[in-house]
Amino acid sequence: MDPVTLFLVLLKDSALALGGLGSLPLLRQDLVATGLASDTQLVQALAIGRLSTGPNGLWIVSLGFQLAGPLGAGMALVAASLPPLLILPVTAAARRWLLSVRFAGLVRGAALATAGLLCATGVSLVVPAGDVPSWWQVVVAVAAAALTYQGRLHPALVVIGGALLGLLLAS
Amino acid sequence: MVRELAKIFIAVGTQSVGGGTSTLFLLRRFLVDRGRLISEREFTEAWSLCQLSPGIHLVALAGLLGQRIAGWRGVIVAVSGMMIPAALITVAMTAAYGLVADEPLAHAALAGMAPATGGMTLGLAIVLVRDARRHGWRAVVDVALVIAAFALLLLTTISAVLVIASVAALGTLFLGRERPTSRAGAAE
Repeated sequence: MDPVTLFLVLLKDSALALGGLGSLPLLRQDLVATGLASDTQLVQALAIGRLSTGPNGLWIVSLGFQLAGPLGAGMALVAASLPPLLILPVTAAARRWLLSVRFAGLVRGAALATAGLLCATGVSLVVPAGDVPSWWQVVVAVAAAALTYQGRLHPALVVIGGALLGLLLAS
Repeated sequence: MVRELAKIFIAVGTQSVGGGTSTLFLLRRFLVDRGRLISEREFTEAWSLCQLSPGIHLVALAGLLGQRIAGWRGVIVAVSGMMIPAALITVAMTAAYGLVADEPLAHAALAGMAPATGGMTLGLAIVLVRDARRHGWRAVVDVALVIAAFALLLLTTISAVLVIASVAALGTLFLGRERPTSRAGAAE
């Protein structure tokens, strides 16, 4: 994939997302639905993002590497790092606006929409189109959702647990 | 000061596994508890502001803290210190996985990782709703918006960007009465 095109897609989707995983539904629509990436690549990137160090928003670096090699990874790193820094000039110039009721409503609206889109993406990853998951995969998905909600178990352990169950039950 | 900042953010980027809470915990420990480079109040205020930023909130936090401690050089050092070594580790792990991705055992592991990552995405969405929703009857409106966004993406071909922009616009007009609370779990 052309790294410049990839950079522009990643930058746009990072800039319109809230949080490191917020770009997932947008990227799935821009890259998987158009055939530029696969759900398998997305899952690999998400899993590696959870197992690697640093913010887990770095999963898009893994995706960039899969799609366009080291240059793609570099493009993804820059695309993920620039949009959050918008907060610096905004807090300097318009701190009062950031604390206004209208802006609070805008952020809440974006967060609620992102939550709905993440739910849809999560379901699509568990139940890919034209595929029926096994009973144990449904159990893994429900358990992973519950553990993430509770926040007591480290996310890397959830991914490792899923992989081990896969090795036990799918091989 | 800049050198010390670089050491701290490289340590955070390479020692925190899984992002989110663990990265935030290490940042607080190195900058507030051990280094005393920033006060607890400044750290908390910066974290609250970061909830309003687009993209990865921890990058915004690194930028804000770096700026407060060492100006614009601090921004560059903090963000690149946290992100570049971690990105190199991520690339190395991706490349290593690529070497075995076609093996049957890797396929089996992926069969378990796919529902795990899907479930974690669902769990994160629920955390996001828990933290962003208002209370009382307004919570019903907020959850209805979540369900609408969910159905639109799953059942139609509408642009996800359009969904976010529409609900955010609605939010500007109608959803601002209570401020969203900030939680580490939704911050990654």
